[in-house]
Amino acid sequence: MKLNEQQLSMLEGEQGPGAQKAMNILLAYGDCYDAERMIPITSAHIAGNFPVLLDEGIEWLEDLGRNGTKVAVYTTKNPEMYDFEQAETLHVPTIYQVRQKRIHEALKALGVTLTYSCHHYLVGNVPRFGDHIAWASSGSQVYANSVIGARSNRDGDHVALAAAITGVIPEWGMHIRENRKADMLIDVGQLPLEKYDPADYKALGWYLGKLVGTRIPAVVNLPNDMHIEAVKGLLYTLTVTGATGLVHLAGITPEATSLESAFGGSPPDSPDIVPSQGDVDKAYLEISSSPEERIDLVIFGCPQCSIQEVQEIAGLLKGKRLHPDTQLWICTSRWVKTLCERMGLLDILDTAGARIVCDIGAADGPHLYLREKGIRVIAINSARGSYYAHNLFGMDTWFGSTQDCVRSAISGRWEGRK
Amino acid sequence: MKLKAKSITKGVAEGEALVSHSPISFTGGMDPDTGKIREPGHDLEGQSIAGKILVFPTGKGSTTGSWQYYAAFKRGNAPKGIINANAEGVVAVAAIITSTPMVHKLEKDPLTCIETGDFVRIDADHGMVEIEKVGR
Repeated sequence: MKLNEQQLSMLEGEQGPGAQKAMNILLAYGDCYDAERMIPITSAHIAGNFPVLLDEGIEWLEDLGRNGTKVAVYTTKNPEMYDFEQAETLHVPTIYQVRQKRIHEALKALGVTLTYSCHHYLVGNVPRFGDHIAWASSGSQVYANSVIGARSNRDGDHVALAAAITGVIPEWGMHIRENRKADMLIDVGQLPLEKYDPADYKALGWYLGKLVGTRIPAVVNLPNDMHIEAVKGLLYTLTVTGATGLVHLAGITPEATSLESAFGGSPPDSPDIVPSQGDVDKAYLEISSSPEERIDLVIFGCPQCSIQEVQEIAGLLKGKRLHPDTQLWICTSRWVKTLCERMGLLDILDTAGARIVCDIGAADGPHLYLREKGIRVIAINSARGSYYAHNLFGMDTWFGSTQDCVRSAISGRWEGRK
Repeated sequence: MKLKAKSITKGVAEGEALVSHSPISFTGGMDPDTGKIREPGHDLEGQSIAGKILVFPTGKGSTTGSWQYYAAFKRGNAPKGIINANAEGVVAVAAIITSTPMVHKLEKDPLTCIETGDFVRIDADHGMVEIEKVGR
């Protein structure tokens, strides 16, 4: 790989051990993909938490920031394990609090903006069309590529951090225009999309992801007024059962104003996949994993709930009470909680017995200590959240729409499809 | 047998080869406490990668694999060196942050040239792999 003077100086260690370590990581990474040069990035996003980093990873982060190493571009952070304002109320074990505080301090020393959000593109980390970025977190990566038209590979934390520190990333994969062309066609015209809820799009994404794998699909016949929550639902789920980095949603994706522009030429004569409603119905049953209908916890926020989602949940809960044996958590960013407070939504949720938990996502961190407290069966409106809660943390899950989940929180039993 | 290779990291490592014909995921697929492959049905399931020259086609799975590998390394359960047919980012980053010698793109397919138990020397400084058949 050809490095410029500035990059060579980092490699030689002239800009400190942190920048040298970072440049070495990027070189090894770029070598895998025969990258020829480094290109500047405009933002980075990192993801890791204690269950992934473990004690050794925390030490690595602390070590990285020890010599005054700082990020050179705007860098945000995915959710953490717990809401520090509610650590006592929620009985978060000290071991996790201590670990998370060390990560917090290490990232602060590196100059990372501590958003603790996976909807960072709603709270300030907003790339522009064509920007090169390094985002670790497969869901937001596919969102940036497909909805914003920014360019990111599926970079892990070490690569995203190295890119943040040096301000550059090896040019390969999604950063190169030629590699962003669609290579398969999906026609969703057979589905009753006019009746679709975001949960239906998630079930559709679950089915499609398995067929798409790592390819770049173009999807036609989506409604022009497709709601952003439906777009997020489809995209985020596609990266659970598949590993695609870019989906051309015809009429929505900036690079897919037409099918010709998505394919960079003529689209195929006939679609590769034409999903039926039967495929989507089947996916619903695959996503849920619980043998029991009792619900211990209804949890929203994978990715973290937007203000629009909280408004919907609060609307459904107004004047109601949760079942005494069932909890309801809304996981979101602190910005959204502030909005909820300002708009009186917190009062509605409090009265119903529901809780807003900030700085965490519904798929990972909290399940570790929730399980330790005997929470076993959860209901969730995210296929992605259901998958990770079950496969990483052993939760039994029910998947359905927001309405299904709220009704289940009130009755204490699963009220959706089974 | 001596084979030319492309280096991902630097350094020299030698030892007993452990060969897998399946891609490896370090997150979920490997236990950092023992170095054992724990993916059900994997051709190395139950075997430890600790102290070996690990030969496999490529990496797969979560990008968080580099954190899990780093923990395995610090706990003394990482391989001495890595040979991939074609490297991808997660394994390359795992190797660079642990200074593990790693090469890929050998002039002959490492999965047919190397068998478990062979004595293998990786010279990542010079892009060379030396294979000694043991007990044959």
